[in-house]
Amino acid sequence: MTTTTLEPKLVQTSPVERATFTYVVRAEWIKLWTVRSTWWTVAALVVLGAGLTTLVCWGNADWLANDPEADSPGSFITWGMMIAQVCAIVMGVLTVTSEYGSGMIRTTFAAVPSRGRVFAAKAVVVASVLFVVGTLTALLGYVGGNFFLNRAGIGMSLEGDVLRAMYGSGLFLAGLAIFSMTVGFLVRHTAAAVSIVLALVFVIGNMVILIPGDFGVWLARLMPGNAGGSIAAPVPFNPDLLDAWAGLGIFVAETAALVMLALYLLRKRDA
Amino acid sequence: MIRAQGLTKTFAGKTAVNGIDFTVEPGRVTGFLGPNGAGKSTTMRMILGLDAPTSGTVSVRGHRYAASPAPLREIGALLEAHAIHPGRSARDHLRWMAASNGIPTTRVGEVLELVGLDSVAGQRAGRFSLGMGQRLGIAAALIGDPPVVVLDEPVNGLDPEGIRWVRSLARQLADEGRTVFVSSHLMSEMALMADHLIVIGRGMILADSSLQTFMAEHAASYVRVKAPRSTAVEAVLVDQHLEVKRHGDELRVQGLDAASIGDLLGAKGLVLHELTLVRSSLEDAFMTLTADSVEYHAKAADEIKAGARR
Ligand SMILES: Nc1ncnc2c1ncn2[C@@H]1O[C@H](COP(=O)(O)OP(=O)(O)OP(=O)(O)O)[C@@H](O)[C@H]1O
Ligand SMILES: [Mg+2]
Repeated sequence: MTTTTLEPKLVQTSPVERATFTYVVRAEWIKLWTVRSTWWTVAALVVLGAGLTTLVCWGNADWLANDPEADSPGSFITWGMMIAQVCAIVMGVLTVTSEYGSGMIRTTFAAVPSRGRVFAAKAVVVASVLFVVGTLTALLGYVGGNFFLNRAGIGMSLEGDVLRAMYGSGLFLAGLAIFSMTVGFLVRHTAAAVSIVLALVFVIGNMVILIPGDFGVWLARLMPGNAGGSIAAPVPFNPDLLDAWAGLGIFVAETAALVMLALYLLRKRDA
Repeated sequence: MIRAQGLTKTFAGKTAVNGIDFTVEPGRVTGFLGPNGAGKSTTMRMILGLDAPTSGTVSVRGHRYAASPAPLREIGALLEAHAIHPGRSARDHLRWMAASNGIPTTRVGEVLELVGLDSVAGQRAGRFSLGMGQRLGIAAALIGDPPVVVLDEPVNGLDPEGIRWVRSLARQLADEGRTVFVSSHLMSEMALMADHLIVIGRGMILADSSLQTFMAEHAASYVRVKAPRSTAVEAVLVDQHLEVKRHGDELRVQGLDAASIGDLLGAKGLVLHELTLVRSSLEDAFMTLTADSVEYHAKAADEIKAGARR
């Protein structure tokens, strides 16, 4: 291996220019797109989100059109996004835990000592990427799914609740990514963080629905996945859930509380 | 300049760094020497604000590390654990670091060339050998052209050519007026690299002096003289007020160099069989100095074994 020597330089003694938040966001943006896992999760998100929506619409169009007992087609037009959540969770978690796993978090905090800034920059980057990718994927799924619904005579136009479910999918995935990222900061371990969020959203969120009475209904409504998920479908499968914006408000509040806890611990614990 | 005052770090009741005070001055290479587990890496993590001191303070250029407006431009660090994502290429790793502190991207190419990784810059860091990873870490430390450089065990995993390179790099950085703080558990390495030594053992400072002073104090040298008529030889040397100790059939003489001793004895017509300058190695000096802390670790290992048997 060949090596060269340093150009002799005068050591700077003047105060240096302050690194701004924009620099930190740019750094996080570079980090996100320079690992393969990001490309894989985005690809999986698009394929699952749009593909599964198209598939279930194709499979259920006739039933939805002809059986008066059938669910609303509005519950199907973003069906794939429910599964695509997994990708948002994985991506959110990985932006944090891959750094703890490799020890790179120390380089990160050495470069940007304000841990709150690192947290915020990661949140900005991962949330904006997932908002865009989530919304586009929902639209792609709508185009595919609505083709088959149209054929069965139950097509929906892109307006009102349907339109809201498109960017609602983006909003929910963005929020879910921040939620997952936060859990990542709390537990600092990929498998643990992914399992916790998946269990919370998919397992516990659906189990509490089985608890009888008002208590069960409210618990189900308040679970983060259920509360936040309402906005991602024009017509939710479960009629007991909160309506779109109220649900999102609850989800945002829950995420904010978790973020506060994570920030508190992040500043207190050693990197 | 780095200044620690009463710096202490306790992990779950175990004190890793115990109230240490030291100053690392610019313009010279300061070696931070200590056996495994002495507290070197912990001290360096506290300098970088990664671990919060249990008590005491440490400042870089007069302020807390976290108060730096653009830390990579003030202090560059090579950390013990590689602290690099294995899936990201060397260039991309340096790119995000540069971006985070507003360092021009052109600097990335410069440091890659400086450490000799320009030809493999596009490869994922996870594929790098230990030595290449170490070079990438050094490139990362220099990305902001910082006046203060902290290197934790920089020669770990390097081949002889790489070790020589790190040595001359440290020298050059110091000659440019930078503050260079290098940790190692190898005395021999520090003897070649450092101007000043801070020796740490069990979290406490055992020595803080220039390399010369350290050598003079801890690595005594003497001239070994063997001669058939050793009693006569001893008498002549003692006559010259030299310090002479008898070890079996050899005499250990301090206070005069070998050539002069030879001349002196030759003038008296005394025959010599051996005349050698013997330096008790710095490694020995270091071992003696840190014997307590090493012993402590041997004991700890025994305790672990005893615990496992229980
Ligand atoms: N995060 C931690 N939690 C608990 N104990 C720790 C932690 N980090 C370090 N220690 C302990 O503190 C002591 C000092 O460790 P440190 O890594 O600073 O030593 P070192 O001088 O760098 O050793 P080496 O030459 O092996 O790198 C050790 O006993 C170690 O076990
Ligand atoms: Mg160490």
